[in-house]
Amino acid sequence: MEGGAAALTILVVALGAFLILKGVGDVLNPPRSTAPSRVPFSGGLSPDTHAWNRYHVRYYPMALLFLAFDMEMVFMYPWAVVFVEEGLIALIEMLMFITILLFGILYTWREGAFRWS
Amino acid sequence: MVVRSILARLAKKAPVPVFLISGIGGDEITDRLRLDDRLHVTDSPRPAMILMIAGRLTSDLKYAALQVHDQMAEPRAVVRWSPAERDPAAEVFPHFVAVDAVAAAAAATLAAAAVNTRDDLLAGSFPSSPPLLPDVEPNPWRGVGPWGQGGTGMTGGVPYGRPLPERAKDRDGLQLDQLLMRVGPFLPALPEGLILEVRLQGDVIQDVTVGANPFVEEAVPDSEEEELPAFPGPADLAPFLASLRVPVAVAELELARARHHLRWLGHALRVHGLAALGRRVLALSARVHSQGAGSSNALGSAEVVELRRSLERNFTLAWATRGIGRLSGDQLAALDGGPVARAAGIERDERCADPAYLALGFKPVVYAGGDALARWRLRLHEAEQSLRLAETAGNSMTTVTGTAEGPTGPLGRGPGPSSRLLPLLPELLTGLEWGDAVTTLLSLDLDLREAALTPPGSGVAPAWAW
Amino acid sequence: MVGEALSTAGLALAVVAVMIGGTYVAAVLDVLFTRLTMRVAVRPLAAAALPLRRAAQLALQRRTLTERPDAGTWALAPAVLAALAAVSLAVVPLTGTLIPVEADTGIVVFAAAMALVVVAVYLQGWSPNSPLSLVAAYRFVAEGLSYEIPFAVVLIGTALPARSLALVPIVTSQEHLWNVIRQPLGLPVYLITVLALSFWGPLALPEGQDVAGGTSLELSGVPRLLWRVAQLNVLVAVSAMGAAVFLGGWLGPWLPGGVWMALKTLFLLALLVASRQFFARVRTESFVVVAWTVLTPLALVDVFLAGIQAMVAAR
Repeated sequence: MEGGAAALTILVVALGAFLILKGVGDVLNPPRSTAPSRVPFSGGLSPDTHAWNRYHVRYYPMALLFLAFDMEMVFMYPWAVVFVEEGLIALIEMLMFITILLFGILYTWREGAFRWS
Repeated sequence: MVVRSILARLAKKAPVPVFLISGIGGDEITDRLRLDDRLHVTDSPRPAMILMIAGRLTSDLKYAALQVHDQMAEPRAVVRWSPAERDPAAEVFPHFVAVDAVAAAAAATLAAAAVNTRDDLLAGSFPSSPPLLPDVEPNPWRGVGPWGQGGTGMTGGVPYGRPLPERAKDRDGLQLDQLLMRVGPFLPALPEGLILEVRLQGDVIQDVTVGANPFVEEAVPDSEEEELPAFPGPADLAPFLASLRVPVAVAELELARARHHLRWLGHALRVHGLAALGRRVLALSARVHSQGAGSSNALGSAEVVELRRSLERNFTLAWATRGIGRLSGDQLAALDGGPVARAAGIERDERCADPAYLALGFKPVVYAGGDALARWRLRLHEAEQSLRLAETAGNSMTTVTGTAEGPTGPLGRGPGPSSRLLPLLPELLTGLEWGDAVTTLLSLDLDLREAALTPPGSGVAPAWAW
Repeated sequence: MVGEALSTAGLALAVVAVMIGGTYVAAVLDVLFTRLTMRVAVRPLAAAALPLRRAAQLALQRRTLTERPDAGTWALAPAVLAALAAVSLAVVPLTGTLIPVEADTGIVVFAAAMALVVVAVYLQGWSPNSPLSLVAAYRFVAEGLSYEIPFAVVLIGTALPARSLALVPIVTSQEHLWNVIRQPLGLPVYLITVLALSFWGPLALPEGQDVAGGTSLELSGVPRLLWRVAQLNVLVAVSAMGAAVFLGGWLGPWLPGGVWMALKTLFLLALLVASRQFFARVRTESFVVVAWTVLTPLALVDVFLAGIQAMVAAR
């Protein structure tokens, strides 16, 4: 089998195996519950609302920085393969790319995006 | 089924997953239960098979205990031990295994009972405890209009039995939801019995309300058997309370102090992710024998020195606690001494007024940081200092009565140290991320049983008469 | 056709065997290290049986239902985590000839699969509709975004001397010198990011005791067992990959390739599992700051040094 198809097959088979194991667990011990047993645990008291909420994800500036570096990584993969043939120019170009992004980290740090309390 | 019996036999020697609840009188044995190899004390009731109730549950803890019981996955059972003869709150658990033993043997007997009950549960010979709270949805589904439509907020009406959280302003100008989380008396990371109503936006606390202390009980006016409510206070405070009235051996006090600090350390290490090390420290604290027991296994200060050195070198612990939970000057002034104040540079220790201590060359340990890291270091240092004092004290007795320096702060003069700290919590915890809030609470070494000795508004002294 | 099918089945069996064996060994190692740290009697035979006993006990417990969970994603989360670990292990060459999935871009498949771990863990925390679980899930997303970059960059560094993204050339490029020696920054950064990836030990942010277990808070019975197994699967997969790209894979004198691979994987697995005993859990903020200001620049420096080395070697 060719690489990608094989990987996908393994993914699906492993997924199925674990789901089957969970099903076996349900057959062995059928789940049952009452309303008080379904209350999420936070020490013994009951909540007022659902837990799902519009969660304030305070690290969203860091997520933007991650996106920038992620795009850099996408370019680094093919660069790693052809880099030696291309020689010094490839190295210097990647150096410039990375330096610009490192300045991005410095900026984010100075802006306090890594500290969110 | 054959499969079930094979699995049950395989599971026999596994540690029993236990969710531990302790009420009044239970704090003596919880450490020994945690040290028992046959038990595995879990962080949440879901994977637990046995609900272990050590001590007497007060009426405020009753509902939470029932809730926790129902949250356990089946098969489940309740095993309880209480020092009191009659335990009205525990009668709400109709099927339980009661363990009859004196406090000294209670832990081992409870553990044995838990193991046997688990084996019987898995074999099917002991019935699983049925749900105890009524099976009623918290809010019936309803809307504003006749067909359930309408209402305010993100969705109309009250869908699916509970509403969704509503919006509130936040510091960076975004209006996102605020989640009200009721952190109950039995969250293992928090001090036992602490009830908080926390408003979270994301994982940062916006607002904290401290609930009533569940260990404070009103005297039952019209019971047939006139039983004085049992001493709610922590068992390891007993020698210090005794020293308020009579002279007590210095070695006794200092050993009790070391035991308390090591016990705190074991719990705190566990919550910070060093579970195995925490258990080792708990074992060390169990070896702090009372003066005169003369066991060859008694803990010496040398081992604590080694422990202290290894913990000071652990940089991840320093990361987790540095700069967290600093108290302001006003808050420290309200504390009137104690380890939390000493960790902020305030040199106040009741033992300085006692010539017996001064004769031993006692000097109070003071750190300047004021944050959680300073408190950790202080308690470790004090534990080592206490063990050394106990080794050199010989037969000397305390000479000052009326006030004493307990392991959490000064006793006998107005509200106890935990009673002074509890009102400071809302200001201290607001704005902290949840993990940092837990770190702060841990580092303060709150004890709600000790706070129950001087409930707010009780003024001075009478509770100290216990 | 039949021969091809049989060889595919054989390779699949090899992956399953390595995964199950590795998971069991990781569980036993955890028990051993815990007992050593607690300074209690080790009792190796009892320690070897303990994971099986705990699994049996979990198998006899009912699973938890919560109020209005997202049942579909809650059921899928441990399965997705284990499946991603299986794919990651499958691209690792077990010996010179036993390569379950031979992909031209093995490193990319690995990094892609491991990037999706964030999704699986987030779903596990979000699905039960429980407040502390939710906090834990969002914590892990912060952790996940932070470890991704150093993790992927350090792997690219190992691909440079081989001039290929496939794993067999990466391993054979280490014939004269292992990558752990000629790229000294690589393995330490890899181990730290991989600890974050498998949320183990000091970086078990979503499973911390301060959130009462976090993503495992509402788990009981078989789903709890499957989640723990999936987590150990991830540990095994990343240990195997680390052994292949940093420690020279199957290369080594005297012993057959498979044995070398097993020993190297075991070594890394032991390091990772033991870290739980020595380091306290790191704060989310601390980890984010360290990952971006220390690990990412170190990883980039590592790639540069590797690039310069590869160019010099090519001349």
